[in-house]
Amino acid sequence: MSFTFRLMLRDLRSGDLLTLLLALVISVSTVTSIGLFIDRLQLSFEQESANLLAADRLVRSDDELPDEWKVKAEALSLRYAERISFTTMMFADNSLQLSQLSAVTEGYPLKGAYLVDDTLFGTGQSSTEAPQPGEIWVSSRLASLLNVQIGNQVDVGDATFTVTKYLVRDPGSSTSAFAISPRAVMNMADLAATNVIIPGSRVRYSLLLAGERAALSEYEDWITPQLNEGQRWQTPTQRGERIGDTIGRAESFLLLAGTLAVIMSGVAMALASARFVKRHLMQVAILKTLGATPKLLGKVFFQQLFTLFLAGALIGLGIGWAIQELIASILSGLMSTALPEPSVSRLWLGVATGAISMLVFCLPLMSHLIKISPLSVLQPNAKVELNTVFIYVIGFMGMYGLMCVYTNGFLLPSIMTAAISAIALFVAGIGWMAFKLGRSLTSGATSGWQIGLASLYRRLVPNLFQLLVFTLIIMLTLILIGVKSNLIADWQQQLPEDAPNHYLFNVQAEQIESINDATDALNVPRSDWYPMVRGRVIEANGESVEALYPEERGEPELYERELNLTWSDSIGKGNELVAGDFSANGLSVEQKAAQEAKLSLGDELTINIGGNIITLPITSIRTVDWGSMQPNFYLMLPKSALEDYPANFVSSLFIDETAAQPFYKAMSQFPTVSILNVGDILKQIQSIIGQLSKAIQLVLFCILSAGALVLLASVRSTLEERLEEGALLRVLGAKSALVRQALLVEFGALGFFAGIIAALGAEACLFGLQVFVFNSQASVHPLLWVLGPVIGVCVISTIGIFASRTVLKVPPMLLLRGL
Amino acid sequence: MASNTAIKVSNLTHTVTSNTGDLTILKGINMEIKESESVAIVGSSGSGKSTLLGLLAGLDVNTSGEVFLYDQAFSGQSEERRALIRGEYVGFVFQSFHLLPSLQAIENVMLPAELKGDKEARKKAEVLLEKVGLSHRLTHYPNQLSGGEQQRVAIARAFASNPKILFADEPTGNLDEENGKLIIKLLFELNQSQGTTLVMVTHDNELAKMCDRQLVMSAGQLTEKSL
Repeated sequence: MSFTFRLMLRDLRSGDLLTLLLALVISVSTVTSIGLFIDRLQLSFEQESANLLAADRLVRSDDELPDEWKVKAEALSLRYAERISFTTMMFADNSLQLSQLSAVTEGYPLKGAYLVDDTLFGTGQSSTEAPQPGEIWVSSRLASLLNVQIGNQVDVGDATFTVTKYLVRDPGSSTSAFAISPRAVMNMADLAATNVIIPGSRVRYSLLLAGERAALSEYEDWITPQLNEGQRWQTPTQRGERIGDTIGRAESFLLLAGTLAVIMSGVAMALASARFVKRHLMQVAILKTLGATPKLLGKVFFQQLFTLFLAGALIGLGIGWAIQELIASILSGLMSTALPEPSVSRLWLGVATGAISMLVFCLPLMSHLIKISPLSVLQPNAKVELNTVFIYVIGFMGMYGLMCVYTNGFLLPSIMTAAISAIALFVAGIGWMAFKLGRSLTSGATSGWQIGLASLYRRLVPNLFQLLVFTLIIMLTLILIGVKSNLIADWQQQLPEDAPNHYLFNVQAEQIESINDATDALNVPRSDWYPMVRGRVIEANGESVEALYPEERGEPELYERELNLTWSDSIGKGNELVAGDFSANGLSVEQKAAQEAKLSLGDELTINIGGNIITLPITSIRTVDWGSMQPNFYLMLPKSALEDYPANFVSSLFIDETAAQPFYKAMSQFPTVSILNVGDILKQIQSIIGQLSKAIQLVLFCILSAGALVLLASVRSTLEERLEEGALLRVLGAKSALVRQALLVEFGALGFFAGIIAALGAEACLFGLQVFVFNSQASVHPLLWVLGPVIGVCVISTIGIFASRTVLKVPPMLLLRGL
Repeated sequence: MASNTAIKVSNLTHTVTSNTGDLTILKGINMEIKESESVAIVGSSGSGKSTLLGLLAGLDVNTSGEVFLYDQAFSGQSEERRALIRGEYVGFVFQSFHLLPSLQAIENVMLPAELKGDKEARKKAEVLLEKVGLSHRLTHYPNQLSGGEQQRVAIARAFASNPKILFADEPTGNLDEENGKLIIKLLFELNQSQGTTLVMVTHDNELAKMCDRQLVMSAGQLTEKSL
């Protein structure tokens, strides 16, 4: 065995290298486990969301799909299917009905499954196959409207089809959730025979894709530049859609958590390296007096670090993998679907964290270590000047770079760096004052209390540093707790258990009473009825919309299309007035729509309703909770402006499983009423949110465990001085109880200060997050102010006493000799 | 330089820079120490004894003048080269022992031979520890040994590389009388049996008197004390 490894094994035995190895293992395993776990969750979210899209990716077009799109998909070994959706009239014996028909190719859906049933208004079994040629599946409502049953025939254009199933859910239907005609699905092979699609028909063509992520993103890069107006690339987690936002926020949270893991790993490595170097300074000087050349020492340390890195990375990867497997297995019972296997390619992140931590924290310190003058053995003051600024600048740059790689951007790392720097300055200022105060209160130290408090000032710099580390970790904990409860509360609020899951459209005024009776008889909760009149905004403040947006690009939603207009005496559930007077004789505009169109109170809009033009001022602005599943409107008009127009009414209902069948049967008396079932989509969204909440709690737990280990490393870094002082006190006759009390007071006070400052910092950060990120009301979190100091005092005292237990147990003589 | 000269110093000057300006600690020192000779460097605290010892052993770089160990010039050499010369010619015994705390007694003694790649390091270390009377303490760590025992391990380590010159800095400074005597006895025995040149910095007059020559350091100047 070479000298390097013999020396290394001896060092390992002494525990110094072990501390470094431990920090490296923590580093690699935390980042690996969180990275892998986040990857699996992302894959899982994508899969779940892919079920809503019926594919991994989708390209939508208003024109026929170019063949080269399919050729490219084949070239990239992607599976694909096509769907053509259009509205058409369907005929059966004596009835006819406008319906939403989809023609699909073999293999559709690529993801998820159809729900079909042989019984009218049944709840359905899944089917991953599309209808065969000659077959058609119709929704129960369409079947009732056409008065057909399974086995009957229906006509679409020139072709005739046999009804073979009742369609309960079309997996891709959520993308057009507001298409309100009853649905049917047929095989693409039959489409040509129908002759219903003629040039100029309103048809939506979709190319659905599924396959490897890399191939999908290559396809995206290829197709995006070719897309023109009326063509869109869709991913399962499209921003702006509710499910996309939910997952987006969860991803941000997990990314934040992962970045914190990176920072904590860095701190752990920095602390362990500093301790290693401190303890080896004299050893290197001695080795030099014995004839070890700087070159040899350089080689020895480099080999040691490299071996350590290999060992740490391997053990860390193993532990990281095991931890994420453990989390996944705990979660498996809670999740609706099995988590996909993690991508092995994500392992590089943990290895890179370990490598960069070693490079930026260990290597510069080690190279200084090698430069120590051998004269130190004769003159202890002749130690090498450590250029700590240089080392920490390198360390900081390394960590910053790592965070950038990790988050794939600069924003989050920059914000976090700025925040941590500000906190460091603040902590240094407050800590210095508090420690000084502690000392002035305790002159003539005799009790454990006084010795403990006085120690804070005596070891000012290390204690300030520890205070910063403690504060940061407690603060991060509190922020994560705050964000977690905010996120989860936000989601739960978004989707209450009894959120409406059905909409009723096209209801005539005279039908309302009978429908009310029917739903009341079934005990089905229902929202208010809102009249709907179609209208289009044509002018804003006297200027025509066409003049404002000549190229029809970037039009605000308010001007883009025909809107459903309504009136109401009260502002309605899920709406909140933010400006103006709702009862005034003018327009009430939804806040985001108003902001997008740059409208404010007093601006005038001209609206074309069935050829009649009316101009009204904006008299109120509302916020709307779009997640409430209540009927919601961008524009509300005064009753006087709309009451003379013929209106359809809309309402939303919550129908549970037991009420479903009788409800559908009751509604078959009202064949003209459109029913939109969004319950299945909601269920899927709720299951995703359920998974997210569980996952976030587990990730939080992981981060906190890593935080506790960093705290331990930080306490160990100043252990020697504490040991020396404790031993001296005991030599001078102090009882163990006094030493223990002094240590408890010192750690307790550090924890208390850290907890208070952390609560303050967390409160400030949460304020920012609530206002700017989650767009929710800012609130004070009294719990944090209790949790902060309590966590601080309890955790830090426990860790401190645990780490310093040798002070109390080992005979003082042994301690002094060992120093 | 004659072949039996172990150390030759000519016009050695050493100046350090402090907050209050430059301070000349050694002012043009000239001396010669012969092979196998034992020399004590005495003088009051702060007179520059340890600085001289550091420069003689190449632990530091002098401002001007020359230091030769067996014809090898130290002055102007790189740290790398000085370390090689130290490894070949020099052994050390320190006032505060300076054993590596993470290594057992035997491992501490093995170090110099291991650094030279000597495969017999362990066997030699066992012999040396037996000579200093610590064969029963081979696997003890420094903090499990008394001060006297630690210094005996340090002496064994110093002789492990068969040094031609042994530098000792206050070797008995941290020891009680009884242990001090034992250490001195060991040092001189090994000095004589191995023909090692011994250069020792000490406050202890009794110890100084046991040496062949005494050099007195005073205000940066070195003078020979007549015996």
